[in-house]
Amino acid sequence: MTQLPDTGWVAVVKRDCPTCELTEPVLAALASAGELTVYTQDDPAFPESVPHEYDGTLDVSHGLRIEIVPTLLRRENGREVARTYGWDKAEWRKLTGLATLGNDLPDLRPGCGAKNIEPGIIEDLLVRHGETGLASRKIELGSAEDEIEAMFDRGWSDGLPVVPPTEARVLRMLSGTSRDPKEVIGKVPPDLGDCTVEKVAINAVMAGCKPEYLPVVLAAVEAVLEEPFAMHGVLATTMYVGPVVIVNGPVRRHIGMNSKGNALGQGFRANNTIGRALQLVIRNVGGGRPQEVDRAALGNPGKLTYCIAEDEEGSCWESLAAERGVPEGKSAVTVFAGYGLQGIVDQKSRTPESLAQSFAECIKAVQHPKLYPGADVLLVVCPEHERTFRTAGWSKQRLYEEIYKRSQRPVDEVRPGTMGIAEGTSAFADGTMAPKIRDGGLMIVRAGGGAGMFSGIIAGWSASGEKGSAPVTRVIGS
Amino acid sequence: MADLESRGIPVVGIATTEFIQAMEVQARALGTDPAYVFVPHPIQDRTNAELHALADEYLDRMLKELVSVSAVAAE
Repeated sequence: MTQLPDTGWVAVVKRDCPTCELTEPVLAALASAGELTVYTQDDPAFPESVPHEYDGTLDVSHGLRIEIVPTLLRRENGREVARTYGWDKAEWRKLTGLATLGNDLPDLRPGCGAKNIEPGIIEDLLVRHGETGLASRKIELGSAEDEIEAMFDRGWSDGLPVVPPTEARVLRMLSGTSRDPKEVIGKVPPDLGDCTVEKVAINAVMAGCKPEYLPVVLAAVEAVLEEPFAMHGVLATTMYVGPVVIVNGPVRRHIGMNSKGNALGQGFRANNTIGRALQLVIRNVGGGRPQEVDRAALGNPGKLTYCIAEDEEGSCWESLAAERGVPEGKSAVTVFAGYGLQGIVDQKSRTPESLAQSFAECIKAVQHPKLYPGADVLLVVCPEHERTFRTAGWSKQRLYEEIYKRSQRPVDEVRPGTMGIAEGTSAFADGTMAPKIRDGGLMIVRAGGGAGMFSGIIAGWSASGEKGSAPVTRVIGS
Repeated sequence: MADLESRGIPVVGIATTEFIQAMEVQARALGTDPAYVFVPHPIQDRTNAELHALADEYLDRMLKELVSVSAVAAE
């Protein structure tokens, strides 16, 4: 490869650019008029009529910070003194001092994006040139180490294989946000490790996210780190809970989240990797690991990943995010300390009253039929159940009110010892009705496939609300 | 606890023996050496009388830890 000339003209072109092809006679004229070095980015044969160098590694283009081709630049005494890009006849003539340059060409033609800044290429160049700007500790693996096994061995996995967070992959992930990789977004419990945007990106890579998911992951991490969510307690409790992420707004469609059939299940990359990335941040940045500070007796499968998109388009109700004050057109995450899924199977109810009573009866069993209050509840209403309320004209507010009311039980029925069961509540005055759910402790979303009269309850933590964890909603940024 | 101690307030943690490992892991991660008293597990299903008896039994140890922490904090 020829060195860049100390003094002379340098042009960078590629075959896959009509403007570069258009300027070939101009480059030929420049070459014959003086010292011109042409670098071609893609086709080693291009441009046929002009002597050129093939910048196959793109290192020259990268070193010159080429963004558009063709680029023409002037160097004098080892320094660049002038540059133009695309085809602008007047500009090229002014720069070169050749008054008749490009006589046969149109006045203007925009250039094309340079190959060296294409996604998937620029990251490798930054790595190769030591310009990643990444702050995280770099870990070199031995040549005999299997990278997947190495990550298991180092304790970075949630029990499933993780994607190796190479510098190039992390840079690519960071292209999904406009935020500074060094920005600290909070301290992650239990070890209170500083969590930067870069750290989140690393764990998003490991989880299998695409760059466009990163803003959702960032919002979810920020949400669980807000004081009311009490992430430390959610992690350290002996109960089942982990963060459940509910996503609302246009971002669901943009990144391909599933809110239809199998809405809570496997098979959809965005849903499954976003929830997983959040859990990996807790593990790898916060140091939250089971059988250590995570004291869960049983845990639940959702502690691998639990991320739901609401089916807003199919719903007759306002979305969860709208209820919680998120402006229309904005996307948001709501995090909820929850676990598992308790089915509500009702294939007979054809009135909203009957169905609401079914919902309430099932909610009464959350945690224990005699535990009053129980815990917060995220109710996922399936389309066929929502239809019953839609047809009857029940608003979401009406359903909330009915469930709060219908899930109450007489205190005398739930005292310790009744039903021959020692468990029970000592709270509330004798003779009153005990509420199952605290005020504001019920959230309703609509999701799921078109057929099947099967809604679901995602139960919360016994320490719901101010004494423990309250749901937190956060608008998703860029 | 570390936060309270940094303000000169003596603190002793009380938990059941099931949480010894959690305390050790957390303390190591945060670089602290908290004073702890561990009582037998479980406590959730204890009666009030049993809990009072347990508290009486461990009170002296808790006070001793508090005084000891206090002495360090005062240095």
